[in-house]
Amino acid sequence: MAGTANSSAKSEVIDLTKLSPDQLMQIKQEFDQEMSNIQDSLSTLHGCKAKYAGSKEALEAFQPDWENRQILVPLTSSMYVPGRIKDLNNFVIDIGTGYYIEKDLEGSKDYFKRRVEYVQEQIEKIEKIHMQKARFLNSVMGVLEVKQAAAVKMIQQQQQQQQPKQTA
Amino acid sequence: MDKNSAAALYKKMQTEVEAYQGLQKSCVKVVKQRAMLESQLNENKCVLDELNLLGADNKVYKLFGPVLVKQELEDSRQNVGKRIEYISKELNSSNNTLESMEKDMHKHREAVSKYQQQWQVAAAMK
Repeated sequence: MAGTANSSAKSEVIDLTKLSPDQLMQIKQEFDQEMSNIQDSLSTLHGCKAKYAGSKEALEAFQPDWENRQILVPLTSSMYVPGRIKDLNNFVIDIGTGYYIEKDLEGSKDYFKRRVEYVQEQIEKIEKIHMQKARFLNSVMGVLEVKQAAAVKMIQQQQQQQQPKQTA
Repeated sequence: MDKNSAAALYKKMQTEVEAYQGLQKSCVKVVKQRAMLESQLNENKCVLDELNLLGADNKVYKLFGPVLVKQELEDSRQNVGKRIEYISKELNSSNNTLESMEKDMHKHREAVSKYQQQWQVAAAMK
């Protein structure tokens, strides 16, 4: 939900034990939703990181004496044409939103290194948030269970109080 | 409670619930839109960071359809900067709509619970 960033910040100040089971259930549902969103973003980020790391590895395999070396260029995933490496020190990198930049080998490696580090940072940030939310969700569940147990007890007591009256 | 007022109360409740559900739907839409804007903003910021790291000897291209067209570095910087400004504005306005939507939703929710209470009171008195 949209306001969750705000509302969750607020609800951490609110005493959970004072909320009704319905409200707790609502919070729980919202958090479950958020947790699955976070999981999705995490897996997307891991995918991104793998892609960047893959590009970086490909660059690291490049040797300076590969000028004019023959390679096979993929036309489709199953068809290749022979080609030769020219201009070994120029790579065009997609930096997003349709912009491409030309960089030399070192610069390109550096670019992917920075990208991997950046994505890693984001992953760590999100994992932290994920842990916090999981902890909060646990406490919500705990309070909810206590409340449910209390409700069950109350009903049992009521029944016990009613029974002697009926027999009497 | 006679039949007429019960029907009237039920109808009021129904309209409130419908309004609430409608708002909820559009709320989801706005949230999606906002998420998209946020990711675009992020991407543009990354691009600008990268462009700012470039020196005068680096060449910049922009993809138009299937063609890469060479761009001036300074122009690209300004373009991306403008785009970031625009997206931030859009993001702000969608945040505002979201806020007012949530307020409206809250109002409708309260109205529904009020009618539910009336209903229960009326049912208890019967």
